[in-house]
Order: sequence, then structure tokens, then C-alpha cells
Amino acid sequence: MQLERFNYDNRIVRDFGVATIIWGLVGMSIGLLVACQLIWPEMNFLTQYTTFGRVRPVHTNAVIFAFVGNGIFMGVYYSLQRVLKARMFSDVLSKVHFWGWQLVIVASAITLPLGLTSSHEYAEMEWPIDIAIAVIWVVFGINMFGTIIKRRERHMYVAVWFYIATFVTVAVLHIVNSIQLPVSMWKSFYVYAGVQDALVQWWYGHNAVAFFLTTPYLGMMYYFLPKMANRPVYSYKLSILHFWSLIFIYIWAGPHHLLYTSLPSWVQSLGVVFSIMLIAPSWGGMINGLLTLRGAWDKVRTEPMLKFMVVALTSYGMATFEGPMLSLKQVNAIAHFTDWIVAHVHVGALGWNGFMTFAILYYLIPRVYKTTLYSKKLANVHFWIGTLGILFYAIPMYWAAVVQGLMWKEFTPEGVLKYPNFLATTLEIIPMHMMRAVGGALYLSGAIIMTYNLVKTIKQGRLLADEAAEAPALLPLITIEHAPHRRLERKPVLFMVLALIAILIGGIVEMIPTFTVSSNVPTIASVKPYTALELQGRDLYLREGCVNCHSQTVRPFRSETSRYGEYSKAGEFVYDRPFLWGSKRTGPDLHRVGGKYPHKWHFDHLLDPTITSPGSIMPAYPWLIDQQLDNTLLQAKMRAMRTLGVPYSTQEIDQALVDLEQQAAAISKDLAANQVEVRPDREIVAMIAYLQRLGTDIKAVAKEEATANANQ
Amino acid sequence: MFKQITNLHGDEIYLITSLWIFLVFFILVACMLVWMKKEHVHYMSDIPFDDAEEKNEEPLKRN
Repeated sequence: MQLERFNYDNRIVRDFGVATIIWGLVGMSIGLLVACQLIWPEMNFLTQYTTFGRVRPVHTNAVIFAFVGNGIFMGVYYSLQRVLKARMFSDVLSKVHFWGWQLVIVASAITLPLGLTSSHEYAEMEWPIDIAIAVIWVVFGINMFGTIIKRRERHMYVAVWFYIATFVTVAVLHIVNSIQLPVSMWKSFYVYAGVQDALVQWWYGHNAVAFFLTTPYLGMMYYFLPKMANRPVYSYKLSILHFWSLIFIYIWAGPHHLLYTSLPSWVQSLGVVFSIMLIAPSWGGMINGLLTLRGAWDKVRTEPMLKFMVVALTSYGMATFEGPMLSLKQVNAIAHFTDWIVAHVHVGALGWNGFMTFAILYYLIPRVYKTTLYSKKLANVHFWIGTLGILFYAIPMYWAAVVQGLMWKEFTPEGVLKYPNFLATTLEIIPMHMMRAVGGALYLSGAIIMTYNLVKTIKQGRLLADEAAEAPALLPLITIEHAPHRRLERKPVLFMVLALIAILIGGIVEMIPTFTVSSNVPTIASVKPYTALELQGRDLYLREGCVNCHSQTVRPFRSETSRYGEYSKAGEFVYDRPFLWGSKRTGPDLHRVGGKYPHKWHFDHLLDPTITSPGSIMPAYPWLIDQQLDNTLLQAKMRAMRTLGVPYSTQEIDQALVDLEQQAAAISKDLAANQVEVRPDREIVAMIAYLQRLGTDIKAVAKEEATANANQ
Repeated sequence: MFKQITNLHGDEIYLITSLWIFLVFFILVACMLVWMKKEHVHYMSDIPFDDAEEKNEEPLKRN
């Protein structure tokens, strides 16, 4: 049999590895900053570009797409070449992929603090960046499939299946979630509205966790863990069952993020059922990983990278048990909108993604530099300080969640809310937030120690950019393979198509009826489109990232209707592009805030929240008073909305600026009557107009009904 | 507790259909596993170790 000589491309692995470390430090540092802002809001340095609402998406996108994203590409480019016995398909495509991805990250890091956001959680970037992401992702896909096609190993190892599923599903998720109608270079509207937008967003959001933070890492686990332990995977058959069940089930679970909202109840129930079923394949993967270490546990004592892997797998097991539990309606009723979700996410992010990335870095860097790790002792210090960091992060957050969740729901014996002032519940958990920041600082310290250790390792070695390898050429198949999966393992395109079908079924069953059956989103006659000024105010609400702390959906619980008012209905959101239900209540829900306070209250609150709410941790927004409202895109925005089905008349669009000025003048006049002098063309006037509109359309119905009843 | 999946006002069809789809899918995957030969399972699990860089390291141990 003729042996072919070729080289593995280690340079691209090194490049992605270095990017992983740099962006990891950046993302974690920003995370620490936002954690501190939840204790000391003045840590936004009193500029609009660093407030919590604008910086929190920078943190989430930096750790997900910059740190973990580069970590995925590092692991994939290393393992893919080796299990396929082939160099990457194209060095040029590898470079385009690397630099294109970094460009996307830098563009996001610039635009998000500027307030240029689509407001879809974990997909906040505006449409030009969305297109760039899609292009770079396709480049990655071509490079990956090109390598698979020119491989010298007939069958694709399990790691490759996970990479294929990741590629195809992330592409589908990203495209469907990013369908927008551009208004300008940095402004667009989603084609979906309200309930439908919420379903698409959480179908995407949940499966971004599944197919960006989970499946590629499972693929890497199946390659790197056996290599680190020098043992084959515990059960290859289990990996097959694990793979197909996981990708099939995961896609259905998104609606568990929307329990008790106005999403049709059958969709919520489907989300719950499939979330519970998800425990089985998730734990199948974890067990397969941990049992791979059977007979090698002695190595865990001496090899820091195996320690990281064990904690990563344990965190995966914890998070994938906790997720289904949180999707039970009874649990969700208490835990949703609290810090429990933050803890849950971070057990996965810090434990599963972070620790496995560290383990792979400790494995890879010495190998591509043909040296040994500079200091095992420092790696052990990193392990323990990182583990402590996770504990200091998660435990206080669970504690805070229980405290705040129960305080929200507590009634006095007389039947009124015991803590009617939301702020009282926020202030109660400040000490837990301080401990969380300590946990984050510990975790970041560990990453800094790792960086020092790896830099020293790099300095003592020399990059083996082209690693020599040899393997027999792949000859034509002369025997017939009867086992169906065996045949599938050598047909990458068919494999991709079947994976695509498996992931499409869930989305189709949940989305098509929600989009096409009108009874799923009943309309309400009194709900009207936003006025020109309110529309402008809504865009300011998006720009400032208010949705990061304030939800806009009142759930049908006595504790919520007593605190906020009537529960939210699907028909109230039909003109909301994007929906702004939120996922966390650092501050109170705002769906019924319209008309609750006078204009002056909102003015004072935005000028300095402690004027109206002493002790508030909300940042001040004085620039809203100074900055003039930019109306240049107003009519284009209204026209775009009309294209999407919002019933703005031609007259309303033509008259938009006049109407806007009239409404602004009325608010300004009311403020003046309350000793507040502010010009009607300032941004704060639009923001007040929007806040005063929230949730008022059905209040109008209630008033009309009351009047009619009185007249009878 | 189970009211949330039994009382769906006529929309149970979505839930039942979905579970049937999964069951059929799961049975198909299980059949593929049953038909898989042990030698192929070993061959596939050893792929990461069929690698030049491992030649000088300790021999592979199987569980």
C-alpha cells in the first residue's frame, strides 16, 4: 500500500489558539466590569458607551463568539486534520476564516457600545455584521468539507459528525434569526414581530447554546479526551446514539425560555417535554466522557489538563440536568428572570466551555511548539483558582435567585405584596452580587496565570508550522458495507443532509403553525402602531439596551399582576419589532409602566435614578437630556414597517415629523408645568413618550368597557 | 403537574405527533446500532490514535 506524505497545518491552530487566549481575557474582563456595575453603577465611568445595557452584549458576544468561537476553530482545525489524515483543504481559506472572524469580532466590539444593536439576545449585531458572519461561516464550511472530501481515512470519526452538525445547524439558525429589512447601514427591522419574533429568537438563542457551545465541544471531547487519557472512547455505539438523539431533541427545547408568556401553550408544552427528554442524550455524552477515563483516573491526579476535563464534564452534567429542571413550569415560575438563570449559564460557560478550552490549550500549545508545558504547577494553580472562581460565582447567584424569587412572590397575611417596591428585592442581593464579582475575578486570575504559563511555553519551544505525517492513499471501496451507519460514516454530504433533516423537524413543527394559524396569535382591535415619537423612543430603548435589565411581559401570576398589572396578551405585541420581553429582571417589568407615573417622574429617573428610587443600581442617562433626537430615518423606518405589515397610512408617514413635534411639545409643556425645562427635540422626550405608551392599549379597552357598563 | 401536557385544548395533536416522530427516529438509530459489527466499532474508536505523533508514546490501553 502506497504511503502518502503530507503536512498538518499547525500555524492556523496556533493562530486560533492565541486569539482564544486574547479574546478570553478581554471577554472575562468585560464580564467582571459588568458584574461590578451591578454593584456600583457609576463604574460605567459616566459615559454612554460603557453603561451596563450596552456593555453586557459585548461581554456575552465576546465570550461566546470570540473566546469560545476561536476555541472551537482551534480544536476543530487541530483534530479534523488528524482524524481525516489530511491537511486543511486550503491555507488561503484558513487565513480568510481566521482574519474574517477576528474582523467580525472587532466590528461587534465597536458597534455594540455605540448602541447599534438589533436587540436579539446573543445576536445583537446589525445586518452588515450578520452578513459577514454568514460569509465567514461558509468559508469555514467549504474548508471543512474540502478537507473531509480529500481525506485519507475512509470513515469519519464521531468528532467530525459533531462538527458537521455544528456547521449546518449554526448556518440555519443564524440565517433564520437574522432575516431583517434594512432601513440604513446600521438600522433594520426583523421580519417577525411579537410572539413570532420571540419564538424565533429563543429557538435561535437556545440552539446557539446547543450548537455553538455544546456540539462542537462534544466533538472536541471525543477527540481530545481519549488522546489525553490514551484510551479510546468508552462506547462508540453510545456516541452514535448520543449524537443523533442530541441533535434531534435539542432543537425543540427553545420555547422553555418563554414559559407563562403569551406564546401558544402547546408550543410551551412541546418545549418542556423535549427539554426533559434532553437529559438522556446529554448525560449519555457526559457518561461516555467520564467512563473514557475508566482505568486512567490515576492520570487525573498528575495531569492538570485531565483535571480540567473532569470538571468540564461534571459541569456539563450539572448544567444539562439543571436546564430541564428549570424548564418545568413549576420551577420556572420561581427561577425565571432571576439570577438562577445567570448561574445556570455560567456553570456551562465557565465549567464546560472555559475549562475544556483551557484543557485543550494545555494539550495543544506544547505539541505545536514541540516542547513541554512550562509549568505543571502553575497549571494546577490555574485549575484550583478557576474551580474556586466557578463556585464563588455560582453559589451566590443561586442564593440570590432564591432570595429574590421568593421576595417577588411573598404576600402579607392581609393579601398584599410584602415587597411592593421592586428595589427592596434588588438591594437585598447586592452582597451576593459582590461575591459573584469575587468569583469572576478569581476565574480571570486563573486565565491570566494560564496566559503566562503558555507564553513561557511558547518561548521555550519553536512552532512546528508544518507537521510531517504520512498515511495510505484512500483507495476505491471494493467491498459492500451492509451496516447503514457504517455506510453513512463515509458519506459526508449525505450525513450533512440527514443531520439537517434531524434539526429542521423540531423547528418546523413549532414555527409553521405559530406563523400560519391565526388563532395562535389573537389580535386585539385597540392595539395600534406606535406614533412617530414613540417609535423613535423605542429605538432609544433598544440603543441603551434597557431590555438587558427590564422585561416587558407580565406573566399570569397573582404576584405579577398585583405588582405590574394585567398579564400580557399575544395581540399586544403585533407591532413590536423586535419583541422586548427580556430574560432577566434586574429592574422591574415595564410592560404596564405606561401611565403609571407622570412625565416628570421618568425625567427625574433617567436623569438620576436615585432621585426617584434611593439606592437604585440603574445607571443615570443624562445624555438623553443633552442629545438632540435624530429624525433623519424616521419616515424610512415607518415605510419599512409598513412593508412588513404595520398599518401606517401614507398620510401618517408624510405627517410623521409634524406629529412627532406635536407630541413632543405636549410632553415638554407638561414637564415645564412641573418645573422641568427641556426642549421638545431632546432624546429624553421620545424615551418618555415610548415608556408612557407601554401596555396602555388594553387599558383603553378596559376604560371603554367600564364607561359602557356605567352607562347601562 | 401533568396538566401542562394533557390540557392543551385540542392542540394535543402537536405533542403526540412530535413524540411519534421522535420514537420512529430513535428506533431507526437503535436499529443501526444493532447492525453494527464489533470490529468496526473498535476500528472507529481507534481512529484518533492512528497518528504519527503517538508512535513514541506509551501503548494504547483499551477499557
